Amino acid sequence: MTKMSQERGIFSRLLSWTVRSPWTYRVLLPLIEAANLKEQTYAFKIWVRYLLWMMRQGCSRKRKVIWMSAFTPVELAYAMDAVPILPEIVAALVSYLGRAPTFLALGDSHLSTDVCSFYRCALGLVLEDLLPPPDVIVSCSYLCDGANKFFSYLSKKYGCPHLLLDPAYGNGQGAVAYVRGQLHHLLEDMGSVLGQRVNLERLREVVRLSNKARTNAERVNKARMARPAPFPGSEGLSYVAGMGFCSPGSAWGVRFFESLAVDLNNRTKVKHGYLPQERHRILWLHHIRPYYRNDIFEFLSSRGVAVCFEEANYLYYPPLDPDNPLDSLVKKVLSNVWRGPLERRIQAVLAMVRDYKADAVIHFSHWGCRQSCGGAAVIGEVLKQRGIPYMVLYGDGADPDNNFPGQTRTRLQAFAEMLG
Amino acid sequence: MKYASDWQRPKVGWTCTYIPVEILEAASVIPVRIVPEPWAEKADAFLDPNFCPYVRACLGKALDGGYDELSGIIVANSCDAMRRLHDAWRYYCPRGFHFLLDVPRIVTQDAVEYLRAGLDDLFSSLQSHFGLDIGEEDLRQAVGELNRTRSLLGILLSWRRQGRVELSYADFLFILDKQWELPRQGYNYALERVIEAGPKAPTARANKPRVFITGSILDGRALIDLIEDLGATVAGVDSCMAERIVPQVDLGEDILGNLARSYLNKIPCARMKDSKKRAEYIIGKIRETGAEGLIYVGLKFCDPYLYEWPYLMEEMRVRRLPVLFLEGEYRGRMGGGIRTRVQAFLEMLGARKLVTEGATE
Repeated sequence: MTKMSQERGIFSRLLSWTVRSPWTYRVLLPLIEAANLKEQTYAFKIWVRYLLWMMRQGCSRKRKVIWMSAFTPVELAYAMDAVPILPEIVAALVSYLGRAPTFLALGDSHLSTDVCSFYRCALGLVLEDLLPPPDVIVSCSYLCDGANKFFSYLSKKYGCPHLLLDPAYGNGQGAVAYVRGQLHHLLEDMGSVLGQRVNLERLREVVRLSNKARTNAERVNKARMARPAPFPGSEGLSYVAGMGFCSPGSAWGVRFFESLAVDLNNRTKVKHGYLPQERHRILWLHHIRPYYRNDIFEFLSSRGVAVCFEEANYLYYPPLDPDNPLDSLVKKVLSNVWRGPLERRIQAVLAMVRDYKADAVIHFSHWGCRQSCGGAAVIGEVLKQRGIPYMVLYGDGADPDNNFPGQTRTRLQAFAEMLG
Repeated sequence: MKYASDWQRPKVGWTCTYIPVEILEAASVIPVRIVPEPWAEKADAFLDPNFCPYVRACLGKALDGGYDELSGIIVANSCDAMRRLHDAWRYYCPRGFHFLLDVPRIVTQDAVEYLRAGLDDLFSSLQSHFGLDIGEEDLRQAVGELNRTRSLLGILLSWRRQGRVELSYADFLFILDKQWELPRQGYNYALERVIEAGPKAPTARANKPRVFITGSILDGRALIDLIEDLGATVAGVDSCMAERIVPQVDLGEDILGNLARSYLNKIPCARMKDSKKRAEYIIGKIRETGAEGLIYVGLKFCDPYLYEWPYLMEEMRVRRLPVLFLEGEYRGRMGGGIRTRVQAFLEMLGARKLVTEGATE
């Protein structure tokens, strides 16, 4: 038991024991499968199974546990045969389940309420000792400052090393060498901490699987260009983005995206749209949406406004080469369009607007997310120059207390009316 | 002695103490530190209202033409807000020289080499944009002059700590800020004259509470003035506006590499990875300066410091060192709420001192 759990009450300890018991997930699996019998999208079931696998493996301690920030290449964890746990993704899930306020309140005792609610919620989960403790923490200094400092604090809480991947801002002189050197040392350091040698064959296999998942993700994205939109953006922003962060490099990722690609291609063949009548198409900007109960997407759907795509699932990196796994990961890191100058993100947004035939764009400005919200105004100017309607929707991805449904509804209503 | 502002040389703004000002001084441009007055509201429509007020003030002033005299601006990749400031500034005020210096968050040999390449790029870009022809020797000379400044300021600080010179911290900050208004050699000359006057014999510390301050960028001297007005002593300030100074830069071969090494190894800002190193440094400084407590100033929406805070708070708590968190709003003045909290903190430190002294007796 960690020191944190020793400071809590009996109920809290019982909850921690239950959540951190691998048997919980063995028991939950058939129950959830039964509840999901009617679920149409098979890929969703794979996502649920992946989550249960992740928690079971992490709690059983049969594999090493590596905590990672979103955008840290998870292939590194799979190459070590470890299970990656992404606290931000777990926080999103907790918010989805409606349990975030409890953990946010705990997290707020340490962190300012001005910072990202995903980190605050994740800290609450840590303080309640509900997550499988990490053997090592590996985070990446992009996309945000939190990914550096928050994980540094977590490493103090758990008494484990924190390794940071600090990619270059630009792609200029020295960037490739700088990132490559870091990835090389990172693998060595991870190996040293975990007590295992870096297995190059395993790394190649992981990159091969990641590339296979990428190929299928590309098929998914292509299918979503169809009119009417075959797949709701609300789901793209939840489990599809979640798998995009957690699964590359694992067989789970391959199965998930393959299943989704087949599913969506079947829908597009019969021109099946997720809305009964699609009047407008929206591109959603930012990697998240509010995960707690809200009616944003329901409202948009009721107005025939389809969220046809979201930048969370934009495939920013080229195909990976398993024969050159490290260089492939370097290219993946340096291809990230949300890193570096805003022009990169803008070019990606314009490409998405074109490819997905978006009539308008909504930028979800999540409270505390400076890296994304800071670019919203300039993106809006660029889109306005091209006659593309644009709206900034302020809100919070994980904290329902930062959600103002009336205001949001009024703004969305006005936007929908403006679209006609 | 001519003031820098009278010169016809181009002025280039800079935002962060990870930017080697020596490079600008070698290029004979006038480095202008970007520390605007509170000016945040206008920038809300161009950045995001939930942005650090210092960054919003920078953009707000630029949008209002307050920086039209600048021929360029150099921003460091200090934090998310700075990155977006660079983007917004380039978009809304595109005129002139724009450069973002990518400063690593880790201190490794690879990081030093990467920063060195960035400095080389900055050096070449300045020359290309302003039509200059500066060599390594010009840079070495500029580094030498700034090394002298560091050395002299270090002596002054050391004398202040030993009570060998009567200098409030507010006055020390005034002296520190003057280096951006005077030519470097003139500034060093003035400092040398002050130091030539010599220190007096060390005096015992006044029986006042002593506080050490750390945190985000300070908006002027308001907090320092407040603490000193309340009868306490500012033992030291770990801030990019104060003592977070680069150590001496080696003047040997590969001056750019030496600059990169020195700047990356300087007293770290919270944006750097190593929270442990920062905590050890701050606690070490508290002990060294005889401070009895720490005031941590976290500027509103300043992520590096807001995320670092719990780490440092726990380190302080374990050592039973009092710490006060203040949320700065970059208003240039201290509101009543902050005054009350600082006053209460100082009173608490004073009371602790009495109890400790009583126990010792």
